[in-house]
This record gives sequence, C-alpha cells and structure tokens, in this order.
Amino acid sequence: MKLKHAFLMISMLLAVSGAAFAEPAAADAKPALAVRIFSFKFKQADKAAAAIKPLLSKEGSMSIQPSTNSLVVTDRAENLKSVAKMIGDFDKEPQSFRLYVRIVGASKVEGSPKIADDLKDVARKLAILPYNSFESVGEATVQGKEGDPGLIDMQTGYRADFKFGEYDPASDSIAVNDLQIAKLTGAQKDQLTSLLKTSLNLTIGQTYILGASRAPQSQRALMIVLVARR
Amino acid sequence: MMTCHYFRANLQPGNADAALLEHLRHCDACLDYAMSIDPDLFFRSLGGDELVPPGGVDAFVGDVMSQVRVRNAETALAPHRTVSAWQRWALAATIAVGVTGATLAYRYEHSAPAPQRVAQTLLSVQAAKPHPAPTATKSFVETYSSHNATIVEMPSDGSDTKVVMIFDDKLPADL
Repeated sequence: MKLKHAFLMISMLLAVSGAAFAEPAAADAKPALAVRIFSFKFKQADKAAAAIKPLLSKEGSMSIQPSTNSLVVTDRAENLKSVAKMIGDFDKEPQSFRLYVRIVGASKVEGSPKIADDLKDVARKLAILPYNSFESVGEATVQGKEGDPGLIDMQTGYRADFKFGEYDPASDSIAVNDLQIAKLTGAQKDQLTSLLKTSLNLTIGQTYILGASRAPQSQRALMIVLVARR
Repeated sequence: MMTCHYFRANLQPGNADAALLEHLRHCDACLDYAMSIDPDLFFRSLGGDELVPPGGVDAFVGDVMSQVRVRNAETALAPHRTVSAWQRWALAATIAVGVTGATLAYRYEHSAPAPQRVAQTLLSVQAAKPHPAPTATKSFVETYSSHNATIVEMPSDGSDTKVVMIFDDKLPADL
C-alpha cells in the first residue's frame, strides 16, 4: 500500500510540475497578433518585403499593396517593432554615392610590355591573366543619388552610362543598373557601338575589376575598375 | 458431540455445566442464544472463577491457536485489493500528462532561438556600430546582356579587390 501511495504521489507531482513547465509553451502556442500598415515614401514596398521576411515569426505574414506602395504586416507586437525599425532604416531619402570608373585596355604583346606607372597596381591584381600590356582608356568619378543616371564620356571614344540603383543596407552595397560600355567606331568615330551591358552590385568601398574578352586566350581585353563610395 | 437442540433444551441461567459450556465454545449460533439467556455464560465459558477454561488449559490454547491459524489462512487466501480499471486509466493518464508536460517544457527551454530573436540580435549589433557590417552578400554581376557568356570570378590575390572576367564570343575583337 505504501509503495502504491508513493507511486501515486510521484505521478501526481510529475503531472503538476510538467503542466507548470509547459505553461509558457502553451501560452505561446496562441500568441496575440497585431496588424500594422507601413507606407513607403522613398522606396518600393516589394523591395522592403524581402528584407522584412526574416524578421517575421512563424505566425507572421505580410502582403504588398502596390497601389498605395504599402506593406500590411501581421505579427506579434514585438516583431512589429523590429519590422518598423527596419523599415525606418530602409525607407530613407535617396542617398548620394560616388562611383569611380576606370577603363583599362589589356593586351598580350610580343616584346617589351607597356605598363604605365599608375596601372602597375591594376596589372599586379591581374597577373593571373595572360596580359602583359595595360593602357588607360579613361577614368572618371560620377556622383549621384539612388535612381539618378550617370554618364561618362572619355576622350578616347569610350562611354559608360548607367543608373545608380538602390542601396542595400543588409549587404552595404549599391546597385549599378544597366551599365553599358560603348565605343565610338567608324572612320569618323561617329558611330556608338555597344560593347557590353550589365548590372552590378558594388559593396561600398571595395574595388572591383570587371574584365571582358571574347575568350580566355584572346589577345585583347577590356578591364573596368569600379569603386563605389558614399 | 452435544447437539444444539440438547444444549438449548438444558441451558439454564447460572448453569456452569462443563459439557454445556464446552459446546458454547464451538458453536457460535448457540453462543448468541446463550447470551440472550444468561450474559454471564460467555465469561464462564472462558474459565470462570477458577481461571481454568472448561476442558482444560491445553484444549483452550489449542482452540485459540486453531482460530489464529484459520484467520491467517483466511487472510492469505482472501483476494488482494487490486487497483480498479478506472484507477489504472487515471494513473496512466497522469503519468502520460506528466511525461508529456515535462518533455514539452524541456523542448521549449532548449529549442533554437526564434528567427525574430536572431534578427533582433543582428539589429542590435548593427545599431552598435556607426557603419553596419554587411549581414548579406550580393553577387557582383547581377545580370549580363548575353546568356552565352561565361562569367568567372578570378582567385583573389589577398587584397580586397574582386576580379571577375566575362568571356563572350559576341564581343568585338578590338575591345
């Protein structure tokens, strides 16, 4: 009888303590959700949605309202605070950036290579490529805000035009959209021929070299050095 | 052996006949009857004034011990009190609830941090720095006009310069 009583007591203790421990989890099972509408002044709501998604809980959801450029977010109150902070950081007035662009012609030549002093640093970074001669085609720095167009005309007949894209705080990078490198060709140098067109993401402060050639064994390549700064 | 009929026919109040009293020790039915005739008969059957039970001490002790053995045997043979079906179900349910509750509590306490907690941590880390460290990276070349081109990221020379080559046979030879 004593053993049975002890067994019953232990079981009851387990049940009570288990229920007590499980109470917070049970309480979280049905959290109170709130709804909040975020309207954007400067940025597109769909762009913010991607950044907000990781902040939402399992119960959270959101919907984009393109007509009002707003985002309807449903989640716990504490998560909505995080979302509001993120949106506050995101939906800011377009920021201004400077984009440094330098175009370098790289070629493989017989005999003594030609490398200008100011291109030795670039040549060293491209040592893995089969080019031994580097010549500067032109360089310029363009300043603009997010969404602004940029245009660089070089005396050598090369042109770079692009559009400042949006700044992404998560990767600390600026998009350079529709970058087109073109060249004046023809006997009179009056025909603008597009060489390449691309869109890039540049981490602020990092140096990028985008090279273009017909094939890895080509004798000639165009190197575009890009640096974005605030 | 004295019959009950003979005992009842000869029983008188105050009677101390040893044979009658001995019958009384063996017959519970006559004991009740005798008690109604003479309540003192019970005590006299135990031995009376001389403290010697009728039939002798040995017989009395033998009767007592036989009664003890009989009652022990009855206790041993009596069905044990068992837990009824509903008690068993209640017990099982209690244990199940206890174990389940404890398991849920353990999982809740040791579960991985919720996504929003991670995000909040990242945000707090970002807020502490004047220029937030990137928490994500994007590919350098997002799009390129030709789908047949090969885009290769060259090995880094140790500096922070990133070199990416585009090999496109549609490019002019005199770049």
